[in-house]
Amino acid sequence: MESPRLEPRGAKKKVRKGHPQGAWITARRAVQYLALASFLVLFILSRQGGWPGQVLNLPMRLDPLVVLANLLASRTWLAGSSVALIVLLLTLVFGRAWCGWLCPLGTTLDLFSLHRARGPRTAPPEGWRRVKYDLFLVILVAALLGNLSLLFLDPLAILVRTLTVSVWPGLDRILTALESALYGLPALAGPVSAFDQLLRPGLLPPSPVYYRDTLLFAGIFLGVILLNVFAERFWCRYLCPLGGMLGLLSKLAPFHRRVGEECKGCTLCTDVCPTGTIDPAHGYRSDPGECTLCMNCLEICPRGLNTFRPRFSPSGWDRYDPGRREALGAIAAGVIGVSLFQSDSLAKRESPFLVRPPGARENNLDAVAFTRCIRCGECLRVCPTGGLQPAVFEAGVEGFGSPVLVPRLGFCDYACTACGQACPVQAIPPLSLEKKRLQVIGRATLDQNRCIPWSDHRPCIVCQEMCPLPDKAVQLEEAEVVGPDGKLVKLKLPHVVRELCIGCGICEYQCPVSVEAAIRVFNPSTGASS
Amino acid sequence: MAKLSRRDFLRRSAAGLGALTAAGILAACDRALSASTPPAAVPTDMAPAGVNNAPPPASTDTALPAAPTRAGVPPSAATVPAATATPRVVPDLAVAHGGSDPEALVRAAIAALGGMQVFVPSGAKVIIKPNICVAHPYQYAATTNPWVVGALVKLALEAGAGSVQVMDSPYGCSQQEGYLTSGIRQQVEAAGGQMMYMSLFKYVNTPIPSGLDLKQLEVYEDILKADLVINVPIAKDHGDTRLTLGMKNLMGVIKTRNIMHFNLGQRIADLTSLIRPKLTVMDAVRILIANGPSGGGDLNNVREKDTVIAGSDIVAVDSYATGLFNLQPTDIAYIGAGAAMGLGRSDLQNLKIEQIPVGS
Repeated sequence: MESPRLEPRGAKKKVRKGHPQGAWITARRAVQYLALASFLVLFILSRQGGWPGQVLNLPMRLDPLVVLANLLASRTWLAGSSVALIVLLLTLVFGRAWCGWLCPLGTTLDLFSLHRARGPRTAPPEGWRRVKYDLFLVILVAALLGNLSLLFLDPLAILVRTLTVSVWPGLDRILTALESALYGLPALAGPVSAFDQLLRPGLLPPSPVYYRDTLLFAGIFLGVILLNVFAERFWCRYLCPLGGMLGLLSKLAPFHRRVGEECKGCTLCTDVCPTGTIDPAHGYRSDPGECTLCMNCLEICPRGLNTFRPRFSPSGWDRYDPGRREALGAIAAGVIGVSLFQSDSLAKRESPFLVRPPGARENNLDAVAFTRCIRCGECLRVCPTGGLQPAVFEAGVEGFGSPVLVPRLGFCDYACTACGQACPVQAIPPLSLEKKRLQVIGRATLDQNRCIPWSDHRPCIVCQEMCPLPDKAVQLEEAEVVGPDGKLVKLKLPHVVRELCIGCGICEYQCPVSVEAAIRVFNPSTGASS
Repeated sequence: MAKLSRRDFLRRSAAGLGALTAAGILAACDRALSASTPPAAVPTDMAPAGVNNAPPPASTDTALPAAPTRAGVPPSAATVPAATATPRVVPDLAVAHGGSDPEALVRAAIAALGGMQVFVPSGAKVIIKPNICVAHPYQYAATTNPWVVGALVKLALEAGAGSVQVMDSPYGCSQQEGYLTSGIRQQVEAAGGQMMYMSLFKYVNTPIPSGLDLKQLEVYEDILKADLVINVPIAKDHGDTRLTLGMKNLMGVIKTRNIMHFNLGQRIADLTSLIRPKLTVMDAVRILIANGPSGGGDLNNVREKDTVIAGSDIVAVDSYATGLFNLQPTDIAYIGAGAAMGLGRSDLQNLKIEQIPVGS
């Protein structure tokens, strides 16, 4: 099984002493890369459109943390979420194999292990491992109280969001700059434009999309990776709430690592354990709640004493594992946190800019809290116009990372139902095109003081032209006004027909008034008639 | 392959980048020079850059008027169609109507103009510009009929075109969505043409020598370089200009459409003076009579006219199409502006119009 093709990789990693190799490692790596590649392929496919949402959002539905939290908060079981049971069962048999073998963020952390920067640094205190369990418990309590804010820390959500909001647009910018530069060379113009036809719209957006706070979201992701400097897989060891959930379940898993009696204490396995859970002080035993079944110890042990065999007895409780105190603390944190959210001014008065995707306002108990949304970012990545953005201030801290439509950046395409199809938990309902077209997500309001025909007395009808509704929610009224030169001019003055407007925002997106549009889409509850 | 040290790699990359930059600067200078040389020199000068297999256009299509290129052509020179060069009498406009087969209408209209080979030099790079503004199925008459576009692809290939590309940049949806939903992509690919995505970096700032209001625009370079641009609008209602026709359809080849909307009529005419498509084929198989240009999915606003209007004079084609809506050419500002600039004729009574009934 030791493939010679892995030679360069082995050669590169010789820096790490006692780097384990063997059939198990090869197999694990193959599965890891395959899982990461599938994740990326699904990501790319979702940008192309035309693929069923149920295929594209499969990774999210495999994630038992978001499925459980969503179940607790929404009190509805979605048939599509049953696939999460696979990971649950896998964990109940093999422990945290998900973390070591499948999780795309885990694989990313392995790829950027930063072991050279880390050097022989000693790991943080064992007690820190508690954080992930605490996070998991707080998420559960908050979910019971209808709050899912902390799910923005879910590992898959972090990856999806960062890819959508930061990596893809950044990559697009870099490649566009390169293409533009090379296109200027006569000899390269042909090849460059042929290359661009391959690149877009399949891999990169056909026209650039922009996201708010790309740096913030990239920073969170970068932070998760940079923590590797302090300990290998720092995120998985100490912070990941999904890891915490799977870790607790792993206590029940029959497949545990066992060390043979003949162990002489060479510490080779301690050195290669990515989560640092092999404890020389306690007979080289490890905590199944921390072990990711990477099989490094199995392959490195010169005497073959590390084995993974079924043993049907629950594992013991470690110092850092959650006890009564943690449970009570989590309940207190959850209750206090949620009650503070409910005392936030946004709970009384929504932001005027809170424009949710079609049907989402109706499908969540609270438009600010977004009680069903798991903050996974699937909707952001499938939105073809890039109008769906992660909420940064519209929904406060509570709704951080949930989707809002920002019409100046992209409108809600009248012929598109992608976000509802992609949402793994129906926080955005999977509406048919007919129903989605009737869904009011916002209302357009015209500012006559800034509108070109109203204030400048020059002709412009872009908002009416763009309005996709059969009866046009923006209508034109012919009027004769005194023009800038003192002469009478005939003009068409746009008006919004409130009752017709669904708030798709294409008028705001296309309005030629610079920077801030003269016609704007606001929260549908804004205005006199409702 | 010998192993490169990191330093060597960086050094070579830097050298390569430097060379590319230098070449880029030189190329930019070259471009600046070519823009200032007389228009006649431009086509041959630009040909090697974008056209790989086509012969230099200026040398082969002597029967045709000089290719209107990036620098533009004086209005009077190119307006006269092939009629002067060929002995047979070719109508100014060919109007095919009747039947239920859009392809038959297109074939009949083009045949009446002397056949596609009149327009397509052998091996030419042809670009077809339909109207794909939103993602509605073709039945709603917001986008050009897919079979009309498909027929033109076939005709161009039959006439010996080297390549036939079809492109537009929708305002109401993404390109891939519009291409697919309109049905145009399917018909174009079935006919052997290529649907092209319009790349952002290929818009070039282009002076409009004869523009009265607009002096320059960012225009898609492929359109400027093509040997033949076939403009394939659909006749439909429009809130501001009243109708979206052939000249209005050209707005799809520029980058920033918003600036057009001040003084739209004249600016459309200015844009037309730059693009000067040698063939305009108006799809009036189904027309949209209200709530255009996007329509929005109300079939009550669609009328079946089963008509295709073809001609090399874009103003004349547009003028004729106004009749389908019971309007006059004088009702449409950009037709008036175009005629005043000498881009074509709107005096329908003086034009030779061949009506071709196509069997039902």
